[in-house]
Amino acid sequence: MLFASSIVRQLRKIAGRDAVLSAREDLMLYEYDGGVQRALPQAVVFPQTTEQVARIVKLAGKEGVPIVPRGAGTGLSGGAIARKGGIILGFSRMNKILEVDVGNQRAIVQPGVVNLDLSHAVAKHGLYFAPDPSSQKACTIGGNVAENSGGPHTLAYGVTVNHVTGLEVVLPDGRVVQFGGKPAESPGYDLTGFFVGSEGTLGIATAITVKLMRLPESVATLLAIFDSIDAAAQTVVALTSEGVTAAALELLDGWTLRTVEEAMHAGYPMDSGAVLLIELEGMREAVDDQKAAVIAVCNRLAREVRVAKDESERQRLWAGRKNAFGAVGRISPSYYVQDGVIPRTRVPDTLRRIEEIAKKYSLTIGNIFHAGDGNLHPLILFDSRDPAQMERTLAAGKEILAYCISVGGSITGEHGVGMEKSEILPLMFTPSDLDVMQRLHDVFNPACLLNPQKIFPMARSCRETNAAAHPAAGLAFTQGGPA
Amino acid sequence: MSTAATTASVFDELAAIVGPRNLSDEVAELITFDIQGTQSAIRVSPASAEEVAAILRVVAARGLAVAVSGGFTQQHIGNPPERAEVLLDTSRLVALDHYDPGDLTFGVGAGATVASSEQRLAEHGQFLPLDIAERERATIGGLLATNTSAPLRHGYGGLRDYCIGIHFVTGDGMVAKGGGRVVKNVAGFDLMKLMIGSFGTLGVITGASFKVAPRPRQTATFVCEFASLPEAIGFRDRIMASALTPIRFEIVSPRAMEYVAAHSDARDPDHYHPEAPVAAPDTSWSIVLTAAGSDAVLARYRRELSAARELTGSAEHDFWNGQLDFHANVAARHRNAMLMQLSVPARAVEAALAGAEHAAVEQNAMCAALGRAALGSLTVAVIPLSVDPPSAMQYANAASAIRASLPPDGSAYVLRCPIEAKAHFDVWGSTPTDRSTMLAVKRALDPAEILNRGRFLL
Ligand SMILES: Cc1cc2nc3c(=O)[nH]c(=O)nc-3n(C[C@H](O)[C@H](O)[C@H](O)COP(=O)(O)OP(=O)(O)OC[C@H]3O[C@@H](n4cnc5c(N)ncnc54)[C@H](O)[C@@H]3O)c2cc1C
Repeated sequence: MLFASSIVRQLRKIAGRDAVLSAREDLMLYEYDGGVQRALPQAVVFPQTTEQVARIVKLAGKEGVPIVPRGAGTGLSGGAIARKGGIILGFSRMNKILEVDVGNQRAIVQPGVVNLDLSHAVAKHGLYFAPDPSSQKACTIGGNVAENSGGPHTLAYGVTVNHVTGLEVVLPDGRVVQFGGKPAESPGYDLTGFFVGSEGTLGIATAITVKLMRLPESVATLLAIFDSIDAAAQTVVALTSEGVTAAALELLDGWTLRTVEEAMHAGYPMDSGAVLLIELEGMREAVDDQKAAVIAVCNRLAREVRVAKDESERQRLWAGRKNAFGAVGRISPSYYVQDGVIPRTRVPDTLRRIEEIAKKYSLTIGNIFHAGDGNLHPLILFDSRDPAQMERTLAAGKEILAYCISVGGSITGEHGVGMEKSEILPLMFTPSDLDVMQRLHDVFNPACLLNPQKIFPMARSCRETNAAAHPAAGLAFTQGGPA
Repeated sequence: MSTAATTASVFDELAAIVGPRNLSDEVAELITFDIQGTQSAIRVSPASAEEVAAILRVVAARGLAVAVSGGFTQQHIGNPPERAEVLLDTSRLVALDHYDPGDLTFGVGAGATVASSEQRLAEHGQFLPLDIAERERATIGGLLATNTSAPLRHGYGGLRDYCIGIHFVTGDGMVAKGGGRVVKNVAGFDLMKLMIGSFGTLGVITGASFKVAPRPRQTATFVCEFASLPEAIGFRDRIMASALTPIRFEIVSPRAMEYVAAHSDARDPDHYHPEAPVAAPDTSWSIVLTAAGSDAVLARYRRELSAARELTGSAEHDFWNGQLDFHANVAARHRNAMLMQLSVPARAVEAALAGAEHAAVEQNAMCAALGRAALGSLTVAVIPLSVDPPSAMQYANAASAIRASLPPDGSAYVLRCPIEAKAHFDVWGSTPTDRSTMLAVKRALDPAEILNRGRFLL
């Protein structure tokens, strides 16, 4: 693709001299996201206002170059990668909290606000932003909106879409429009809800109205320790079916917890087969009751149930969970994290199946996941220098997802389809389902200049003239872990 | 070709799709399916998404329009149909799709009634956290299409929070689905959100899946009364800032309580008997909340709400059933009442309710209002006094005065009012969401505009 230097000049005119990158060494930093699928953009621009975003989008439209929004680049499905080249729109300078409305329990933020920064900023009012991806120290609310991100506490409070009531959006034609507002809902189509999770393919969110929740009066964090992963999995089923509504219910298998423990010293017993990290939140009396119920259920199969004595022990237990990917990264240069979902009744047999798949392909697969939601994150370790092992890793990942679908599940619970799983989306949806989704895509993004070649299989993507990309078969490979 | 001839041949085509027993053109029968003065010529009851698709293709090809109907509990909402030659009735779309009690997920056909779904779930001590009226008639599809709000929404979220999958057919007969049957899923676009609250104008919903909840083992309801609206709101603010996490949290205006309380004698303005005066008008505003949990949890509520009247057991049950019947009670007693659904941020609830009271008085009417105190989802009834039969302009004026008291992103649409008045004002009012984008979405899914034509805000 020809990328005229005049485009860079015009970008500088719109956003400022120091707000545009175009040197190859600078662009290389924007070649990848949390995975390592790569594609080099031709320019990166950091707008400061909605109006600049609109002008940049119009410029891209006029010049016919793709444009890809990017938050912190922690996404795990290649969403923020400029698959067809073009302009990356980085939001690091649109990182202001525009309004905190304590009475209405709402905040209006720019897309570049870091998830955890919002919770910190409103903590003095006794409020917080509930979606808590493990990457929350880095990822942006714009990215959360695009991916409809979850986190450990999604179990009780829902994913990002359950916490967004309004959006200001720049459409691919440069128009600035409003969807929703501060009220919980409004008559008309719920375009706010529809936009969340659209992975940056429908428009660019430039202001986001989010719900703020009241910090709970009481929190209890428990660690249930099991001799086998099966016992932990059975306990997940029991907790769910008995209606114990934990705020979070995370599972780490033996291999993963040992790896995490070595790196983080979170307090997970090295000789256990699996642990469940369980959090209960709410009114003091309710938490006390739930604690008793959880302990009773866990004790049927657990070796031991520990209750964090104080805040520092709580934080340590969570640090182990939230930094698990990093800990795995210490011992394996490359790993492939999957994001399948299964009905919670199927946790035990799915984990057994994953074990069989690991054996079949001679791979190490660690399991750490949002057990309460049935959202698996198998981590497949591999050595990227060994092509045969890469092949096997890919095949194993695909087999795990195929199993998830076969038991009524999904190929992605929170990381998105992006470019990683676009070729396997048809395993879940019929051609007619996909046609309807693509019609809607085309209402917003008819020329496919906004984040092209994402979500839908390549053969279905808009077929514009400059098809620089190569069709990929099957699952696209995300090697290496999050940085 | 004349319309009669068209419909006659359409009848045969539709009969070929659903079988002769599953459609009707009997005028006597169709008259009972009147939608705001419009009667269809044919009523057809498909049993599958494929049949729905085939019907819609016939309707579109013949240049006709279709009204979609479930339990007929909410057909009073919106504009009268522009036309609706065919009534597509969802009552045969009832196949149970899946129920996994251990996973707390449930999927069902759009024509299934709320009551039948509840019955199924109750066998496992589970429920859809929806307390709505007319559950024997109301269907799952109708509920989704109208995005019905209920008191339990405070504690459990709304349909958009727990509908995890949807099946529908677009206006041009494409069979589609979104989501799935697991509680967390971001594969593909979120079509659930698009269909919820679309009032049957984007597609015919044929089925849906939900996260369900374990039924609380024990609840208690607390009624707290206040001499004025500001006092009630002040109390609401204190509860919102407290550690209490009620599952229902309602505000009820003085007059609304008369239409809520079981067997109460509402002071009916149409039946004035000076020789037998009714009780003095109730003037207190109520905040009513339901707590769920163990004895210790309920004891905490009792402590913190010491001035409240507590309802448990059948009294509690009756109260909430009365609350659900508010709309029906008002409509039954006052054929010419107007009911509106308001949505505002929490802070604007006070101004909206005060505005509604004021607007009613200005139009020579009474106001009764209730709704979610913290969520800002309110139902307002404007009840004309019988002394002066109201003119269409009085409804229009009341609606615009109520709307004027809302913040810019607030909204107020008409749930019910006399059909004659509807021609004189916009029953939907404004919405903060961009209109042209909504229109483009509508055209993409119903290009020939055959679905519930003319009824929605677009
Ligand atoms: C260690 C680690 C742990 C993680 N844990 C979790 C987890 O627990 N739960 C979870 O859900 N995810 C998790 N993730 C994935 C990732 O952090 C989330 O998807 C996150 O929301 C991405 O945010 P970001 O700012 O990095 O977005 P990016 O990666 O920069 O972008 C993601 C997508 O958002 C689009 N986008 C960004 N900004 C906008 C905008 N303003 N308008 C429109 N589109 C936009 C991009 O085009 C892209 O498609 C994890 C990642 C890592 C590395």
